[in-house]
Amino acid sequence: METKYNEEEILKQLHNPETQREGFAHVVEEYSQRLYWQIRKMVYSHEDANDILQDVFIKAWLNIGNFRGDAKLSTWLYKIAINESITFINRSKAKRNLSIDDEDSFLINQLEGDEYFDGDEAQVLLQKAVVSLPEKQRLVFQMKYFDEMKYDDISEILGTSVGALKASYHHAVKKVENFLKQSN
Amino acid sequence: METKKIRLENIDKKVPFKVPENYFSQFNESLMANLPVKETPKVRKITIWEKSKPWVYMAAMFLGLFFTIQLLVKNSNTPQTASNTFQTEQDYWGDVKISEDDFFDYVETQFVDENYYDLVYNQVYLNSL
Repeated sequence: METKYNEEEILKQLHNPETQREGFAHVVEEYSQRLYWQIRKMVYSHEDANDILQDVFIKAWLNIGNFRGDAKLSTWLYKIAINESITFINRSKAKRNLSIDDEDSFLINQLEGDEYFDGDEAQVLLQKAVVSLPEKQRLVFQMKYFDEMKYDDISEILGTSVGALKASYHHAVKKVENFLKQSN
Repeated sequence: METKKIRLENIDKKVPFKVPENYFSQFNESLMANLPVKETPKVRKITIWEKSKPWVYMAAMFLGLFFTIQLLVKNSNTPQTASNTFQTEQDYWGDVKISEDDFFDYVETQFVDENYYDLVYNQVYLNSL
């Protein structure tokens, strides 16, 4: 029978060298999908998302001793995933001789030909609109619009006040709507 | 012909991506199989002396401080002037260690002084008149 995930119990296991590996297996099982989709929405390609997800879990495994439980484990893992994804995007830009301030539209150049893309014309357009947003607005839009996350949770992950997040989301929606209007 | 306009509220919110079949179960399995082995740091045994060293040092410091304060307090209570040393005349003389012979020798020596001798002589002489 599958046991229910209990964070308190898992944290105890993670801080005991004897049970650490077993506890971490529960963490991977619980969070791999959620983190994968967060990463995938940022980098678009399945292969890249897969590599980044592995790096995220390896980093979490090697640094689990530093996690003191002040925040939720999910917040800590999301932070690692977002940082790793941003680092990947910046590295990819550098490889293409692009500036960090340049748009990330190169990420979706191959989107329609990607075998793991499953969207129609409208969804391609929406992704193009999203990728044209500044990094922070894009993150907020993805978390709020697609994942319907609470502002409080986003605030903890991104380290931004709820007020600033609401403003960012409002601007992002306006920009996306304008992008769609112009494309029509 | 009018083309249908794309509006945000009409777009399906579903993320338009898919993953290979059984991707997540395979990922979890493969990740756990390849997770690096963590070396448990060897815990060095701490001796009783190492454990108690800070307390011993602190106790020694307090003892030193205690004795220093005791010494300072004692010195401040000690009388500093000779007038305070002896409360009564009896105390003063009680402390003088001189024999009777020594005393008369001393007086005699004083009398040897010519002027003093004359003075005493004149006093005795004048009184006898």
